[in-house]
Amino acid sequence: MEQSLHSFKKYYNIYCDKIKKEAVLEITEIQHLVERDGIVFLSYGGFLSQALISAMTEALEKEADAKDIGMGVSNNIFTIFIELSQNMMNYSKSKDSNCHEITPEGLIIVSRDEDGNYYIQSQNIIALEDKNKIEPKLQEIQFLDKDGIKKRYRELRRSGQNTHGKGGGIGFYEIAKKCDSIEYHFKEINENKYYFHIKTKINIKKEK
Amino acid sequence: MNNLNIEETKYTPKIDLNCEEGTVSIVGKSYPENTFEFYEPVMKWLEEYFANDAKETTTINFEIIYFNSSSSKLFFDLFDLLEENKETNNIIINWLYDEENESALEAGEDFQEDFETLKINLISK
Repeated sequence: MEQSLHSFKKYYNIYCDKIKKEAVLEITEIQHLVERDGIVFLSYGGFLSQALISAMTEALEKEADAKDIGMGVSNNIFTIFIELSQNMMNYSKSKDSNCHEITPEGLIIVSRDEDGNYYIQSQNIIALEDKNKIEPKLQEIQFLDKDGIKKRYRELRRSGQNTHGKGGGIGFYEIAKKCDSIEYHFKEINENKYYFHIKTKINIKKEK
Repeated sequence: MNNLNIEETKYTPKIDLNCEEGTVSIVGKSYPENTFEFYEPVMKWLEEYFANDAKETTTINFEIIYFNSSSSKLFFDLFDLLEENKETNNIIINWLYDEENESALEAGEDFQEDFETLKINLISK
């Protein structure tokens, strides 16, 4: 995660420098860096809307098609991407405890390493209240194996105990079902706000 | 009662609810922002259909390419509604999936296990 964020800042700085100098942006320069780091798709921005998420998913579908990613893996990538970006959209609408809106700032990256494993990761700012909801779920998921996750997912879906206005409260379990590992990290900005990083990995499927 | 048809969008499926033929079809991707709100007319239609206008046999065709977790919860609730009406109705459910789409197959199997009393056919395309 840190490495990708570092790479991202690099592209962003290059971009900003060029803009400042009013020079023509060398897209190829960014392209080389993106390719070197195996980045398939990257988006950085402010407010996320449903229209934007569906446009990004569509772009991702085209990318998956062009890179010949099989349907099984690519649908898992899309589902995780949608869960993470819809989460980001919802968290950015939360208010912190002083009733200030959370800065709608987020980064989402889909990348691939040399062995062909895929990573979907996001970083955004969340309110303490949301951290308190997310963290226990992620902690629980870390202790469960694949069957345990599946069982818990179905239990929660059936009971509806996590259901809220926007959904079933089972998004992280959905993500955990569709990937092979999850890493996450909260970094305090102040007592009300945190950076939330999450990195999911989909292992390369061996040829049958 | 009237038929209900909802056109497909980039993130919502094509929905056709037909009370004359007793058929329900939900085909496409499903990741709306407000899932429960989006499907509310569908759930209302089904409730009314089973209360007043159900045909001898009702056929439900699901073909969902991929979906977000709130859609998963909603489909669960929809299956729940079907289960509630299974005693008085002959309900056939077809869960169609592309043979390469493992997640869609797995989702269908999960619903089969969760609703053992419903007749859910998993059909590979």
